[in-house]
Amino acid sequence: MKYILFCLLIALTMNAKAQHADTLLTDTAKAKKLKEVVVTATRTNKTLMQVPMPVTTISNKEIKNRGLVRLNEILNEQTGLSVLPDAHGQGIQIQGFSPDYTMIMLDGLPLIGRTTGILDLSRITTNNIEKIEIVKGPVSSLYGSEAMAGVINIISATPAAGASGSVSARYGTNKNADISLNGAYATQRLSLSGFVNRYSSSGYTLVPESGSATVSPFYGYTLNGALGYKFSNRTQIKLQVRDYTSTADNNFLVDNDRITGDGTEKTLNASAGLTHRFSDKFTGDVRLYHAGYSTKSLLINNTDNSVYDETFFDQNFNRAELQGDYKIINSLRFTGGVGGQDESVKATRYNDKKTFQSGYTYGQADWTPLKKLDIILGGRFDAHSVYRSQFSPKLAASYQFSDKFVLLASTGKGYKAPDFRQLYLNFTNAIVGYSVFGYEEAATELKKLQDQGQIQSVLIDPATLQRLNAESSTAYNFGYRYKPFTGVMWTVNVFRNNIRDLIDSQPIAIKTNGQSVFSYFNIHDVYTQGVETDVTYNFLTHWTVAGGMQYLEAYDQSVLDQIKAGKVFGTDQVTRETIKVKKSQYGGLLNRSKYMANARIAYQDDKTGIITSVRAIYRGRYGFSDVDGNGIVNRDDEYVKGYVLFNASVSKLFLNNQLRLQLTGENIGNYKNPGAISNLAGRLIYAGVTYNFKQ
Amino acid sequence: MNKFKTLALVLFSSTALLVTSCSKDNETPEPQKPAILTVNTVSDLDGSAGAVYYSLSTNKQVTGDDITAGKWDIKFSGTSIFVNGGTSGSGTTQAQTVAGKFEEVNQAPADGYNTDASGVNAIVKWYQYTGEDIKPNHTILPLPGKIIIIKTSAGKYAKMEIKSYYKGNPVITEAFDANTPSKFYTFRFAYQADGSTNLQ
Repeated sequence: MKYILFCLLIALTMNAKAQHADTLLTDTAKAKKLKEVVVTATRTNKTLMQVPMPVTTISNKEIKNRGLVRLNEILNEQTGLSVLPDAHGQGIQIQGFSPDYTMIMLDGLPLIGRTTGILDLSRITTNNIEKIEIVKGPVSSLYGSEAMAGVINIISATPAAGASGSVSARYGTNKNADISLNGAYATQRLSLSGFVNRYSSSGYTLVPESGSATVSPFYGYTLNGALGYKFSNRTQIKLQVRDYTSTADNNFLVDNDRITGDGTEKTLNASAGLTHRFSDKFTGDVRLYHAGYSTKSLLINNTDNSVYDETFFDQNFNRAELQGDYKIINSLRFTGGVGGQDESVKATRYNDKKTFQSGYTYGQADWTPLKKLDIILGGRFDAHSVYRSQFSPKLAASYQFSDKFVLLASTGKGYKAPDFRQLYLNFTNAIVGYSVFGYEEAATELKKLQDQGQIQSVLIDPATLQRLNAESSTAYNFGYRYKPFTGVMWTVNVFRNNIRDLIDSQPIAIKTNGQSVFSYFNIHDVYTQGVETDVTYNFLTHWTVAGGMQYLEAYDQSVLDQIKAGKVFGTDQVTRETIKVKKSQYGGLLNRSKYMANARIAYQDDKTGIITSVRAIYRGRYGFSDVDGNGIVNRDDEYVKGYVLFNASVSKLFLNNQLRLQLTGENIGNYKNPGAISNLAGRLIYAGVTYNFKQ
Repeated sequence: MNKFKTLALVLFSSTALLVTSCSKDNETPEPQKPAILTVNTVSDLDGSAGAVYYSLSTNKQVTGDDITAGKWDIKFSGTSIFVNGGTSGSGTTQAQTVAGKFEEVNQAPADGYNTDASGVNAIVKWYQYTGEDIKPNHTILPLPGKIIIIKTSAGKYAKMEIKSYYKGNPVITEAFDANTPSKFYTFRFAYQADGSTNLQ
């Protein structure tokens, strides 16, 4: 997608130089915001006002001004997004969906590496990002599996003409250090850029008495190289490689034994894309993509030098895709594509190497029957070697009443394929003694345990197990973008997602040691609904005030039905007696806040070169535990208390905007909740410096 | 004196009339108010060393020869509860689970009972295992509102509710340590000795 964008950018003679360097961009940037182009929502260029889906964009300038260097840091401050604390990584929640349901892309290509469904966003550096586009609502009609809640696309920066480079460093609390070195060279035909980033931390512990770190010390490197070459006005090629490696130094206590060992994580993304403009009406793209993800961990028990845990995980993903973009007439544009994917995974917890093949085709018609009305109709068909084929249609429309007001509505289907774990896992927890088997392995593995005499009773006969379906959703989004007067942008979006076949684990047998054997089933019917609003006000040239809020309801439909039938009970917190649960007591799905809000004040002055902002993020209380054993959140003590976080940053530019000194503070109020929120480390203060080399 | 005799006579006769009229009404016996069953609470029945057997009729743990003699009704082993019947014992004990509050389950159902079969117990799913996804992790929590109805080998009915799997029936919070000594069963039951299905 970047390639088509590149061609069109040249055609529109936009100033590509502006996006890359870490400098102030004031009035020109604000003017651009009005005509801002979004590529992710439709895989084509569309102006922000016109896009008929809810879209949020974050510019490079905003990221730099706030002094945030990792993707989770910047996403956590956006309206309607929440970064959840989880041992498996910092994932993003959108419209009440867990992190498994949002696709994260780098220049339109999906990032892989979700051992349990969560993609750890702290892996991704914000260095060299031109902008981040967040599309909410299912976009499986274009991107396939995982694009159920929405997609987040990180668009890399285009190098400025000539030679340029920069070095930046940020250091602070917990010995957290982030250093980047960027270099680029661009001529009319050739563009070359690369960067190296090192991110490290000594970790932290929220519970010092435990003798174990909450987050272990780690260091990681990102290496990125991109080459673009324009053979002619019509043809260009783009190659990109990114390598990320990180090593964590684990050290924790288990029952007075000290366990130590390294865990490493590697990702490699490589892509090649060729774009050719056949005519004014027709452009074609071919894209090849390879992604690899592997983890390795060896933990030794220091007391007796025995191996405490040894695991590895290797995932490979290859894709070839062809896309054509045809402008039939000025008001009708068709985009279509076809692709094939080959995926494999090998891991300690899977019996042998597993492979998937899939093929897909997608089409989208973008029709403007009236100047003010834009209708988008699209769909994608995915065929897969293991699970059932999926068809994901989408219909979206925007009506522009005036320059100031546009109404948008969209509906579509999204889906998420069962992941490797749900299909192939063969895991027994050595300490506790329970086992989890993926659907494909359940029958054979259960039989093995039965032959070994380890099974006491069978709860669900494996012969009756149904093949796992993909989880799917139907979504409705409706809202508007309104600019009542200059400098103000107000967006509202009302959403409803009906999710079917949500996969969850359930016990299928009891072992002789009293522990259960679990497998995965499509069990739940869940819905999320709510409303989200965001206001930004730019005034007096220097000031910006912004705020947003989301109200969310996320409920399991079958639990609601059971509560209505009077079949759900709980235990009273004080009397410890059984009570019947009422609908008003049901807290909905875990980890979803009913209320989330954020507010921001920013000041920027070109003359003095001072940029500063203060942000507040509010997370309302959310369900977190189940202490009365009924499997749902219904008691006040099953919630994590709501809280507010304050972030701030101040920077000063020197030497004709080439040098920036910055002070960043996160969680300035030092809010912590050690029992429930593992990713709140307390107050974090950083000092940073960036220097831009310009020819 | 005569006046007193007349008065006494009137009083006696009216009383006699009253008594006879009352006794006429008393010909049909008054409905007996049912005896409220005693609720027995068993705390920390120790199953940590192995299976533990219990008799509901005597409200005592059953050990030694009495086990082989079949003088038990239920057996706890780990997270499983067995009944003295089917593949688990020599008796004919049956069981089923119903949903409701312990005090409000007043009648044992007429049918729907099972006995233990190989690999499938009569009493299943009396607890919730929290696993890793929900706090407190790896904890066995008795399902609230799950009442176990037992029909013993002697044909007597009982209702039972498990209160805790852990020693000391501790209060559960999200920080609960799943390593707390377990297999100490705390439960309460009501046993209907007269053989009827009344469990009030």
